[in-house]
Amino acid sequence: MSIPTLQGLQTALSGLLAEQQALDITGNNIANSNTEGYTRESVVMQPSPPIVIPALSTKTGEGAQLGTGVSVATYTRIRNSYLDAQYRTQNSALSASSTQAEELAQAQSAFNEPSSTGIASQMSAFWTAWSSLANSPTSEAAKQGVVSAAQQLTTSINELSGQLTTISGQVGEQVSALTGPSGEVQNYASQIAQLNGQIKLAEQAGQQPNSMLDQRDLLLDKLSSLAKVTVSQQPDGTDTVSFGDASKPLVEGTSVNWPQTITAAAGGQLGALLGLTSPTGALTALGSSLDSVANTLAASVNALHNSTPIFSGTTAATLKVAVTAAQVKASASEAAGGNAVALAIANLRGGAAEQGYAALVQQVGASVRTAHDEEATGKTTLTTIGNQRQSVSGVSLDEEMTNLISFQRGYQASARTLTAMDSMLETLIEHTGQVGL
Amino acid sequence: MDQRITPAMITGSTVNDINSALTALERSSSELSSGKKILEPSDDPYGASQVIDLQSQLDGLSSFAANAKDGVSWATTSESAMQNISELMQRVRTVTVQASNGTYNQSDLNSLATEVTQIAETIKQDANVQYAGQYVFAGTKTTTPPYQQGETDTYAGNGETVSRAIGPGAAVTVSTNISTLLGNGAESKDGKLLDVLRTISQHLTEGTAESKAALTSTDLKGLEANIETLSQLQSVNGSTTDQLKLATSRIEALQGAISTTLSNTEDANLAETSIAFSNEQAAYTAALRAGATIVQESLLNFLH
Repeated sequence: MSIPTLQGLQTALSGLLAEQQALDITGNNIANSNTEGYTRESVVMQPSPPIVIPALSTKTGEGAQLGTGVSVATYTRIRNSYLDAQYRTQNSALSASSTQAEELAQAQSAFNEPSSTGIASQMSAFWTAWSSLANSPTSEAAKQGVVSAAQQLTTSINELSGQLTTISGQVGEQVSALTGPSGEVQNYASQIAQLNGQIKLAEQAGQQPNSMLDQRDLLLDKLSSLAKVTVSQQPDGTDTVSFGDASKPLVEGTSVNWPQTITAAAGGQLGALLGLTSPTGALTALGSSLDSVANTLAASVNALHNSTPIFSGTTAATLKVAVTAAQVKASASEAAGGNAVALAIANLRGGAAEQGYAALVQQVGASVRTAHDEEATGKTTLTTIGNQRQSVSGVSLDEEMTNLISFQRGYQASARTLTAMDSMLETLIEHTGQVGL
Repeated sequence: MDQRITPAMITGSTVNDINSALTALERSSSELSSGKKILEPSDDPYGASQVIDLQSQLDGLSSFAANAKDGVSWATTSESAMQNISELMQRVRTVTVQASNGTYNQSDLNSLATEVTQIAETIKQDANVQYAGQYVFAGTKTTTPPYQQGETDTYAGNGETVSRAIGPGAAVTVSTNISTLLGNGAESKDGKLLDVLRTISQHLTEGTAESKAALTSTDLKGLEANIETLSQLQSVNGSTTDQLKLATSRIEALQGAISTTLSNTEDANLAETSIAFSNEQAAYTAALRAGATIVQESLLNFLH
C-alpha cells in the first residue's frame, strides 16, 4: 500500500487550520486581558491519527505510521479551583472586617473625641460650673451656669445616643436591602442558577462553555463578599452553593432557596452587619455603655443634690435636666452661703461617670482599631491569593505576543509546505510524459 | 514553578503601593497640620482615654486654682477688717488707761465715752465687711449682715464655716467666726469685745471712783483678753492665706506636670513627624516613578 498522493496537502491544511485557531485564541486572550473574571485559554493540539503503512512496504520490510498533521483537541481554561475556594474564604473575611471598620468608624466619629467640644469636655465644664457655684453659692449667674452646663451635657449625650441608634438603623436597612427580593443575594443566586442550567446543557452537548464558567466564577466571587460561600461541583457541571450559615444550599442545580435565615456566623458583609447589632454586638455594647454612663452621672449627682433631682431619665436617650436655676442648691441647709452640696458635686470630677465615659471612648477606639488591623491583614492576604490566581489564570501580554509570533510562524510554514506540495503535484501533473517534447 | 507575572498583577500592586504610600503621607500631613498624633480614639485607644482623664484633671486644677485665689481674697478681706478692729482696740486701750489717770474731768470722760461707743459702731461696720457681695463674718448666712448698727449687738450670723476646695476632697475653711471676738453685747454679759466696750463706755459715763477703778482692772483685763483672741483669729486667718498660697503654687506645679504628660500623650512630635513625612514623600514619588516606568514596558515595544 502506498501513501495517498494528496495526503501532504491535507497535512499542511490541518497545520494551517490548527495554527489559525491558536491565533484566534491568542487574539481572544489579548482582547480579554483586562476583562474582570476572564480566565486565559490555551489551545491543546494533538497529532491526527496516522496512516498505517503495512509491513514489507519499506526497504527494511518493517511497517510504519505516517503522521497526517494536527488537530485541536480542546480549548483549556487555565484555572485552579483550590485557589478559587481560598480566594472566596478570604474575600468573606475581608468583607466582614471592612464592613465592621466602616460602621464602627462612623460610630467613632459620632463621639467627636478627643476634642474641646466632646462629651468629656462638657462633663468637665459641668463639674467646673459646680465649683464656681461653690465659690458664689448665692449667685444666680452661677446657678444658671450649672443649669446651662447640664443642658449642654445632656443634649450631647442625647445626640450621641441618637447617632448610635441611627447607625444601628442603617445597618438594619443595609441587611434588608441586601437580603430582600431584589437584593444582591437573590440577584447573584438566580444568575448562578441560570448559568448552572446553561452550562449543564452545553456540557451535555460536548461543548466547553468557558465564558459561562468564567461568569459563574465571577458571580461566586462577588457572592463571597456577602457571606461565606462553599461550592461543590456536581458531575453534571452545575455548582451547588452553600451560603453563610443558611440551612439549605442557596443554589442547587437551577433552583434558588432564598430567603433563608442567616446569623452573625454567616461571615462576610451580612454576617458583620448582623453581628454589629446583635445583643452581644459592638454597636449594642457602645449603646449600653453610654446608657450606663448617663445613668451613673444622673444617679451620682442626684444623690448629692437631694432637694430636687438635677437629672431625670436613666438612659442616654432619655437623660434630661429636671431643674431650673432657682431650684439649684449649693447647700442642703437654709443658710444662703453654704456650699457643701456644690463642693461635693464638684468633687465628682474624675469619678465613675467620667471614668465610664473615658472607658467607652477607649472601647470604641479599640474596636475600630481591631477592625482596621483585621482589614489590613485581610487585604494583604487577599492580594497574595489574588496574585496567585492571576499568576495561573491571568493573561500575560508578553506571553501572548510570543505565542502570536510562534503561531504566525507555524501558519506561514504550513502555508509553505502547502506550496511545496502544490509544486510537487504540478511537476507530476503538468510535466510528466513530456520528455523530449 | 516560577510564578507567572501578568500586567494586571503589576498594575494592581503598583496601585496598592501608591495608595499605601499616599495613605501614610496623608496621615503624617494631618498630624503635622493639627499638631496632634491622636486624631481619633482608634489612633491610640488607651491614649485617647488618658487625654480625657488628663484634660479633666487640668480643668479641675484650674477650678482649684480659681477657688484658692477666691479664698485668698476672702481671707485678705477678713484680714484687713481684723487689722482695723485691732487698731481700734489699741485706741480703746489707750483711752481706758488715760481715763483712769484721774486728770480728766467728767466732760472729758463723757467725750471719751462717746468715742468708745463710736469705736464699737466702727468695729461692727468692719465686721459687716463684704467680699463679692457676701458678708465674710456671717458664717454661711452670707446675705445677712452679722451686726446691726445702733444699740443692738446680737450676732446675726451663724457658726458654720465657709470653705474652698483646693484639691480632690481637700477643702480649706476661709471664714472666721467673728462672734468669738465680738460676742453678743452688754446684755449677754459674755465678756466679749462688744460687752467690754459697752461696759467701758458705761464706766466712763458714770465717772465714779469705783467705775474708774473698774476701768483699769476688769475692763482693761477684759480688753486684753479680747486683744489676745483677735490675734489668735488673725493668726489662724494668716495661716489660711499661707495655706491657700502654698496650694496655688502646688496647683501650678501640677498643672505644668499634667500639661507635659498630656502633650506627650496627644501631641505629635514635630521633628519625628517631619522626618517621617519627608520619607513618605520620597516613598510616594518612588512608587509613582516605578509605576510609570514598569507599567509602560512590554514586549510590544520591541516587536516590529
